Amino acid sequence: MTTNRYRKKIRDTDTELVEAINAGKPELFEELVKRYEQKLYNFGLRMCGDVCDAEDLVQETFLNVFRYLKDFRFETKFKNWLYRIATSSCIKKRRKSKYAPERELSLDEFISKDDAQTPNEIPAWAQLPLDQLLNEELSRTFKEAILTLPEKYRLVVVLRDLEGFSTIETAQILNLKSSNVKVRLHRARLFLQEKLKEYFKNDG
Amino acid sequence: MTDDIHNPQHCLEMFKKLSEYIDGELDTLTCKELEEHVKECVTCKSCLATLKKTVNICREMDTNPVPAEVSQRLKAMIQNMPRQVRTVQER
Repeated sequence: MTTNRYRKKIRDTDTELVEAINAGKPELFEELVKRYEQKLYNFGLRMCGDVCDAEDLVQETFLNVFRYLKDFRFETKFKNWLYRIATSSCIKKRRKSKYAPERELSLDEFISKDDAQTPNEIPAWAQLPLDQLLNEELSRTFKEAILTLPEKYRLVVVLRDLEGFSTIETAQILNLKSSNVKVRLHRARLFLQEKLKEYFKNDG
Repeated sequence: MTDDIHNPQHCLEMFKKLSEYIDGELDTLTCKELEEHVKECVTCKSCLATLKKTVNICREMDTNPVPAEVSQRLKAMIQNMPRQVRTVQER
């Protein structure tokens, strides 16, 4: 049967470029940087919330990509491999964020036990079209809310809902089972939903 | 608030699956079950609507441009990296 040795090579829009760099054209590395610099910078901002940390993350990631590109075996999309490196840089740093101490989010936190708190209708904000809802203040509040998520939940929601990776891709990047990704994603979303409820309650 | 159809155990089961429903990751049968449930259960219906909106807000978050000085420092770092990417020895 199939073994890792004979695993099919996955081709994507970066394959040619990566092959060319590995075939002896390191000067093309700059092109690879151009393609992903902004994405990684935003990933860093979303994970760390700090421009210096985001810059560090981008630099470290590209340094490691440069170092290990020759070992890339095209067993996954290049982008997924890149994010795996970025994610492990992020985790290694284990920045003790003042916002987000590591802790488990339990489903119980999100289940209202008090009947008085149970909504009897859909709140008005949830019925508004997105373009009427989104503004700078909400965007800032939401980004801050993401930073208050414990890291393991933040990683999942950032990769899934902000960076647009699928459940399977996220599981590969984080070396988790898909079922674990789903559980963490659901709790992270419920956590953010609570923050939005608070925001709109205070907003009137 | 709580009526006959509002069975807490069933609610909890459905509540756990709301994200998978939003992501289209449920099998047809469970998907139907959830849709039937939210028709009758206002709590789950409301939770689904707010959760959906939360996900949509997430997906619409703006991206920041990379500051020019950050880009320049990155470029300088790359230019100073040793040009020693070993060529892959094809098997």
